[in-house]
This record gives sequence, structure tokens and C-alpha cells, in this order.
Amino acid sequence: MARTARHDAIHALVDVKQGLISRELFVNEELYQQEQERLFAHCWLFVGHESQIPKPGDYFVSAMGEESVILTRDREQRIHVFLNTCRHRGMKVCRYDEGNTPVFTCPYHGWSYGTDGRLVGVPYYRECYQEQLDKAEWGLVEVPQLVNYKGTIWATWDEAAPPFAEYLGGMKVHLDTLLDCRDGREGGSEVLGGVQKWVMPCNWKFAAENFAGDAYHNISHRSVDLAGIGPSGAGRRDTVERSTAQRLGASFPDLGHGAVSFLQLDDVPYTPSYQNTPIVEEYFRHCYEERKRRLGKDARLLGLVGNVFPNTAYLARQPRSIAVWHPRGALKTEAWRWFLVDADAPPEVKDVLRHYYLRYSGPAGMTEQDDMENWNYATLASKGVIARRYPYNYQMGLGQDYGTYDSPGVLTDRIAEQNQRGFYERWAAYMDGARTDPRNGGRNDGRATRKGARPGAHRPESRGKPPDADGRSRSGG
Amino acid sequence: MSVINLRHLQPGTKIGLADGSTVEVVSNPLDGIWVFARYLSSPRDTSLIGTEEMIFAQDIVEIR
Ligand code: FES
Ligand SMILES: [Fe+2]
Repeated sequence: MARTARHDAIHALVDVKQGLISRELFVNEELYQQEQERLFAHCWLFVGHESQIPKPGDYFVSAMGEESVILTRDREQRIHVFLNTCRHRGMKVCRYDEGNTPVFTCPYHGWSYGTDGRLVGVPYYRECYQEQLDKAEWGLVEVPQLVNYKGTIWATWDEAAPPFAEYLGGMKVHLDTLLDCRDGREGGSEVLGGVQKWVMPCNWKFAAENFAGDAYHNISHRSVDLAGIGPSGAGRRDTVERSTAQRLGASFPDLGHGAVSFLQLDDVPYTPSYQNTPIVEEYFRHCYEERKRRLGKDARLLGLVGNVFPNTAYLARQPRSIAVWHPRGALKTEAWRWFLVDADAPPEVKDVLRHYYLRYSGPAGMTEQDDMENWNYATLASKGVIARRYPYNYQMGLGQDYGTYDSPGVLTDRIAEQNQRGFYERWAAYMDGARTDPRNGGRNDGRATRKGARPGAHRPESRGKPPDADGRSRSGG
Repeated sequence: MSVINLRHLQPGTKIGLADGSTVEVVSNPLDGIWVFARYLSSPRDTSLIGTEEMIFAQDIVEIR
């Protein structure tokens, strides 16, 4: 398809200016296939956590888009991500979820690969290949770019993709509220327990856009709030400190990420949480005060939820967790959820958190079940030929300006659908073929980047401004 | 000749190969297909003696 035709086709489905998104994005198999090539083959994707592979030979089988990959640590302690497919006839080389091994041996004909990916064993190499096979050419396929960001391992299949830090842009400050220690030290997390995995009959974008900061659907979780699964037995989280903080919806339309955090406007003393368990209560009180001491004003940002484009979501605090929405078909998503904790937290704290996390998230978690009900039934009710004619509505807060806060991104201080519009704006840029450098605003059609926009730092500069020439409000829509 | 279960071969076990070589198991990845072993003798190539190689299951003919 010519680029302009493709551009028009994609933008007929995604009309961010009007806040209209076609249902085809959620049900159409052809679009789904295009996503694999245009999006998942180019984006930075979360693969796993370094704490899952602490020793040489440790491995964790993960996925990038539809493709199975092996995250492993070689004998020299180097971390690798390999495509989990044999170079001989394509057999899945590693069929376990995780473990430790000196070699990955293909069960089909027996080719064997070292943990550094090199092809080290070929049956009948002397007798039948006459040593003519160039083993150096036939190692496991490795991702061209990989990064260990505060213990989390991310990779991309695109060697031309911008460096991870640039890809993340201003989303960093929000993601850090997940990844940094509760007491403000950098990094320091580990995975608590196993990875929860389950399949949902819905498109992956339902989950991604929800976690990009759908603060509107709170009503769905009212029964959980009534049941009181929270750390102190009321609601679903202990969130008193938020009552004095400013909601901060942050959208990065040039990057696709979205987050909702809370910004304390002043130094706020610790508000008790985890009150049913004194050891945990004391631990979090200590962490809160330490964090304030270490970070000063920066400690005022409290993370809640976010989605790193395209399909890595997090909950920053309660529960503290990463989820990946693996695409498995237009109508099928495999959800994987990791729970995080500070590696050096006391065992009692880890145990209480583990119970709370499981009450909240995962296929048996009460809140996650609510979300899945919505996505699964929305899928069913959107599949039909008649239903498909009617786009979804993303108009909340369209064209509104929310004022200036000292934080990167397009900011909203109340419930809005800016983050979802930002997500689909970036989705369209990838699908349109403009996937490369966020510095060009994700566009390849020669149009200028939005006035004043720079990656990860788009700030509303004045209130009540009309939309830009291209119809978009610079702060709200 | 009975089929040898590679998963039972412990380090130190001496095994005979189809080409008449004798090797000693150094480590076993337990994949049932390969073992890492050191050559003790090789009628085919004496320079192999002392070297380590991955030995393929179907090349192993006996436990010595
Ligand atoms: S497919 Fe792996 S060795 Fe043949
Ligand atoms: Fe939810």
C-alpha cells in the first residue's frame, strides 16, 4: 500500500482529534497481523526481571509479541534474549518456563546451543556435515538491542529503534515510582513468587489502554471496595495520602505511554497504612520518611498506574506489579503478571504483600477479574458487523486545558481520556509506518512536529488556549 | 545392545563410542541427547586425548 493510502486507512480508524476510535482495532484480524510487523517488531518490550535469572545458566522463557524468547544469563554473567526457535527446522528449543541449563538442546534433531547462543553441538557434524557447516553462522537469533533498566530487562527487534532511555522519555519518572526502592534508593526490586499467566478472550489493547490510565472505570471495582481487600481491610488500597495530592494524568502522545500518578503539592507527613500488621506498618512508615529525606521534593510524586507503549503495564504501589499483554490473536490476549518487592524487605513484609497482591491481581485477584469482565464482554459485543460500524468514544476532556505542573508530558489533573488518545495517536504512527525516532514526533510524512513539542516534555503553557492548527489542544486533547 | 539412558550417566562414568574411542563424562546437561566428556583414547585421532567434546547420544555404544 502506498504510504499515503496507508496513512489515510489508519487515520480513518483512529481520529484522535474527534476522540473516535474504530472498533476494528479490537476485532480485526488483518489489523492484528499488521500490528505484529509494524509495531511489535519495532517497539521496546519488557521481557523479564534480572532477579529471575540470578545465576549463570538461569533462564526464563518469555515472549515478545507473538514470539517466544529465552531470557538467559551466560557463563560470563552476560544477559541475553534469544528467539526461542531452532535454526535447523524451527523447533521450539526451550519448552520449559524457567530453569538452569548449560545448553539449550533442540529435541528434534539435537542441535545444541550454549547460553551465549552459539551453536555448540551438531549431531554427525564430522560424519555427515563433513565439518562444512559454519556453526558460527547458525547460533540462536539474538535481539539487536537489550537493556537492563533498574533490574527490568527490555529488548527490541529493531536495531534502528531509539535507545531505551529515549523511547521511555518523560515516562521515566512514573516508571521509577514502580522500580525504585520504597525508601528512595534506585532500583533494588525483585520478583516476588512466580509469574501469573492466563488467557483472556479480548484484544490486547483493551488492557493496554486501561492501564495507560483509565481512571474513569473505578465504578467497575465498587464491589471490591465494598469487600475491602485493601492492606488495612477497607477499600482496595490504602490511599489516604492521595486525598491531599493532585491527580496527575500524564500522556506522551509522541511516545504512546500513559500514566496516572499523584503529586503532593506540599510536604505531607506519613499517613498510616497496612494498619493490620504492625511490622509492615512500621516498615512503610520508615520507607516513606527515608524516601522523603533522600529525594526531597521529588518524593512528592506517588505512582499509581501506567502503560509503557505498547503492552507493558504497571501498578506502582498497591499492588506493585508489572503486566504484559501478549497479543495472541485479534480476540485473544495472554496476560502475564509479575509482582515486585524490594529485595531487602523483611520476610514478614514480603509475606503480607504477597497475600495482598494475590487478593488484588491476577486471574484470581478480585480487581483483575472486574477488568477482564469488561474487556471480554466488550469484545463479544463489538464483533458483529453492525456493532463494528460504531466507533468507541474517547472524548472525555477533549480540548480542555488543565494547567501547568512541574512534570513532563501532556498533563491532566482530573479524570480524562487524554492518555488513551495519546496511546492511539502513537499506535497510528506505528501502523502508518512512522515508527522510528520519537524526536520526529513519530511521523514520517514530512509534517512538522507539534509546536513546542519535545520528547517527553510537553507542558501546557497557558490556560484556555484553543486547539492547535491541527485541531488538537496542546494540553488537554 | 540395550539403549543407554543418558540421563543416568554421572560425571566420571567411562563410555565407549562407535569409533572405538573411550571418553569419561565430565558433566551431564540432562537433556538426554548430549554429554560433555573428555577423551581417554581414540583410535581415530590420538590428538583428541585429553580434550573435551560434546558427545551425541547415538555415538555412545557402551558404558565401560
Ligand atoms: S529442528 Fe532443531 S535440530 Fe532440527
Ligand atoms: Fe481496573
